[in-house]
Amino acid sequence: MPQHAPRTGARASQSRLAQRPARWKHWLPALLFLSPAIVGLVLFRLVPIVWAFVLSFTDWRIFDDIVWVGFDNYIHILSSPVARQVLGNTLWFTAMYVPGVVVLSVSLAVVLNNGLRSSAFFRGAFFLPYITATVAITLAWRWIFSTRFGLLNHLLDMVGLQGQAWLADPAWALPAVAIVSIWKDAGFYMILLIAGLQTIDPGYYEAARIDGARPFRRFYAITLPLLSRSLFFVLILALIRSTQTFEITYALTNGGPNRASTTLAFYIYQNAFVHFEMGYAAALAYLLCFAIGLVTLLNFWLRKRWVHE
Amino acid sequence: MTTKRSALRAFGLKPALCAFGMFAGAMPAAAQDTTLTYMLWSPEQVEIEAPAIAAFESAHPGVTVKVQAMPPADYWPRVSAQAASGDLPDVMAMSSGFVQEWAAAGNLLDLSPYIGDSALDGYFTSAVNIGNIGGAQVAFPQNWVAPVLYYNRTAFDAAGVGYPNATWTWEDFRAAAEALTVDENADGTPEQYGYWVYGRYAHTDPWVFRNGGRYVTADGSALDITQPAVNALAFLASLVDDGFAPRPQELEGVRQQDVFGMGMAAMWVDGSWNIDNTRKLVGDTFEWGIAQVPMGPDATPETAAAYAWADMLAVTTDTEQADLAWAFVQHMTGPTLSAADFTAGKVPAWTATAETEQWLGRGQQPDNMELILEIGEQPLYTGFTRNWSDWRGYAAAGSGGLNGELDEVFNGRKPLSDALAAATAYGNDVLSR
Amino acid sequence: MNDARLKRASVLVALYGVLLVYAAVTLLPFAWMLITSFKESREVFRLPPSFVPTLLFGPDPLANYTEVLTRHDFLLYFRNSFFVSTTAALGQVATCALAGYAFARMHLPGKTAIFALILATAFVPTEVTIIPEFLLMRGLGWIDTFLPLIVPSFLVGSFGTFMLREYFASLPNEYGEAARIDGAGPFRIFWRVYLPLARPALISIFVIAFINNWDELLRPLLYLNSPELRTVPLGLMRFVGEFEAEWALLMAGSVASTLPLILVYLLGQKYVLQGFAGGGVKG
Repeated sequence: MPQHAPRTGARASQSRLAQRPARWKHWLPALLFLSPAIVGLVLFRLVPIVWAFVLSFTDWRIFDDIVWVGFDNYIHILSSPVARQVLGNTLWFTAMYVPGVVVLSVSLAVVLNNGLRSSAFFRGAFFLPYITATVAITLAWRWIFSTRFGLLNHLLDMVGLQGQAWLADPAWALPAVAIVSIWKDAGFYMILLIAGLQTIDPGYYEAARIDGARPFRRFYAITLPLLSRSLFFVLILALIRSTQTFEITYALTNGGPNRASTTLAFYIYQNAFVHFEMGYAAALAYLLCFAIGLVTLLNFWLRKRWVHE
Repeated sequence: MTTKRSALRAFGLKPALCAFGMFAGAMPAAAQDTTLTYMLWSPEQVEIEAPAIAAFESAHPGVTVKVQAMPPADYWPRVSAQAASGDLPDVMAMSSGFVQEWAAAGNLLDLSPYIGDSALDGYFTSAVNIGNIGGAQVAFPQNWVAPVLYYNRTAFDAAGVGYPNATWTWEDFRAAAEALTVDENADGTPEQYGYWVYGRYAHTDPWVFRNGGRYVTADGSALDITQPAVNALAFLASLVDDGFAPRPQELEGVRQQDVFGMGMAAMWVDGSWNIDNTRKLVGDTFEWGIAQVPMGPDATPETAAAYAWADMLAVTTDTEQADLAWAFVQHMTGPTLSAADFTAGKVPAWTATAETEQWLGRGQQPDNMELILEIGEQPLYTGFTRNWSDWRGYAAAGSGGLNGELDEVFNGRKPLSDALAAATAYGNDVLSR
Repeated sequence: MNDARLKRASVLVALYGVLLVYAAVTLLPFAWMLITSFKESREVFRLPPSFVPTLLFGPDPLANYTEVLTRHDFLLYFRNSFFVSTTAALGQVATCALAGYAFARMHLPGKTAIFALILATAFVPTEVTIIPEFLLMRGLGWIDTFLPLIVPSFLVGSFGTFMLREYFASLPNEYGEAARIDGAGPFRIFWRVYLPLARPALISIFVIAFINNWDELLRPLLYLNSPELRTVPLGLMRFVGEFEAEWALLMAGSVASTLPLILVYLLGQKYVLQGFAGGGVKG
């Protein structure tokens, strides 16, 4: 990658622009540049989203008439033990998935960035899960987790450990979904992080080595701070992804046993496309959005104090 | 259509939709060139029905039937979206599980005015009744299925146990299950279990209904699990607790419909549609037969209802050619289809087709397919209500509701009474919404 | 020095050990998929599971693949998927490039709000917006065409917009200034100066968008009626019946449908790394 001038260049130019009188001539080109995105945003994002938001105040079974119910859906969700359980599952899944996938992808990225000759092979191998048809590959995992005939329990048995009914045990089903999700996505984040690592000037490491810093010290003192922008980006993506798990849950546990692995996105799908309670599903979705919005704001706030720029 | 339009109007979108040709799509088609749209949820069924559809087209010159099929999990979202836009096909496949809700929403045309007195002759009356909701014939059966007790004759012979028969009590059943549980190498894990129960509606509800039990009140407005129902579930749970049936979690990773066919359990209750899979799986590795689920101790012959459900065809209220659509429904449910067009175990709604040697599958296992026809003559109960998919647990929501609670019971994690209390509370919350 | 070299060698061995173990973990499910695609349907669920791809030793090792490709018209589905994914991804690259550039280097009151909206709307689950979207598409008369699959993806891409905004912001300002002094207008500066510099980022967005569009199932399912418009995921769903799925065919179809994605990845790999490196993920 060619060395770029510091980002402050762009900022400086923006503020220079801002100082000029904002005549339409100055922002017409920007408007033209943005017009396709604005049309798309309004027509295909905002219209359905606002429409769905309105629906969250209705009782609408898709094939039936729409009945206005005010805040009933929201009140019901907040008082429903099942909704609370699902919310708890979602938090627990996020708590497993986000740190898991970030730690794994950072490790893979750091290891593969060490200039090994076979890096390209490993990169490709680790990226492969990300591009494979989810349902098909999840079936392979189902077989791995199978209680009596599964590979995992077979391996555990060989080293003298007790196997589990991974997918049928309420304690293990959600971790199993998290493991498969982490496995599937780590390669993608890894690529993003390798890209970030490659922009770090090797001179820093050289200097640190001369100063006698050990590898772990170098990782904490140089890699992590200089990688923080990539890490932040990965963190945001992982967070969004953790709230949208659907296909893997569907093919691996179907949300069971007894809803133990039903996360909010899956519950929304069930309400929308199995029970066809679109109004209720929409209300669930907007609660989810609200929650994600809060977390994201928190993240951006953290970014200010944490990300090295 | 009117209700849909008013719904759209509520969101101020009607003018926009009009402008974009909503009414263009609703204009009557030219008389000579008519297209009849037909949607169903089984892609492989399309090839099977193709000749029958071609026959309909040649009998009605100028009519083209446009068929669309997708797997069930995709079918319902798709037709729901079409219902929302007033865009349903003329004829659509309808299941017993959803027919009440779809009828209540006014999407299904009452066929009673089109059905003459004679039109019902030749059909299984009980199957036709499944599509009769509150006196309106909103759907018409193409085939129907009933749960049966599958049993492994080879295993019965080896254990010296007599085959199940109509006089069997539940205690006879338990004794057989015990005798058929075989742990040859004495490692604590039987190579063959006496019974296999998975805890979905097809596996537990036949026992409940054959014991005269009910999950819901007569009008289907609330959950009220009766004592005979509790007793039936307790009986099944005791078979698992006693080790005559495996805990479902032990076999996680094995498809539930393969357990019996692979010889891992000597008895199993499931829908008759599994005859096809079981035939393929078993081949000639062992001999097997089917029986009716034994009547429960709390039931009398009057209250021991058989359980059955049907795949039906419905004419939608969005159709503009109801006469033609009804003619098509009649054509596709009547004698046109031959026995070979039905998956083994799905009973043609047209009696004469069901009674052919070919459907009875002579020369194949099981050798007593008539049993299913006999069940069809008995009083039937389906137990479906509005929101059944939610309180019972179905398809992608199969891990919730009563299903989820029963899984806990059969896996030994929760006492039955707690599980049923939780399921009742949830179900009533769903139904009251 | 010798000591250090020995240490370095042992670190390397340990490193390779870990990598190989994890590579085994990633590749094992694929091995299963691949083996299954060379089995007869009834062999798939045999217990205990077998690792033997039985068909390979038979007279017609590629039976599942030929059946998928011929009997089910998958060549047509591939063409459709290829068309949809390519157009949608190209469109997304174009829109994101324009928008990202404008967000990074141009002035417009309220552009931050627009940018925030593009990001925030990515959080709303599709399951909820899909029905209003369906009604919208029907109103537009787009049912049973490729337009609902292409146009929305063509016009908005949160990930791409975000990435390109960062990418363009990181490019040196002086290039544009120089061109402006030479009398170049905003379009010329974008087209001649900055866009060529963003090539790696554009390619990486294309790759990601292509992969995402290729996998889409819900929208094709809702919007397409005609068999001749079917995409690959829709075609794969034909192996899933009411009670049974033809697993061996499904696996063969899945393997086949992954191959174009692997190809796209391999072709774009070099640029993907560069693109991400210069973009939102700059270290």
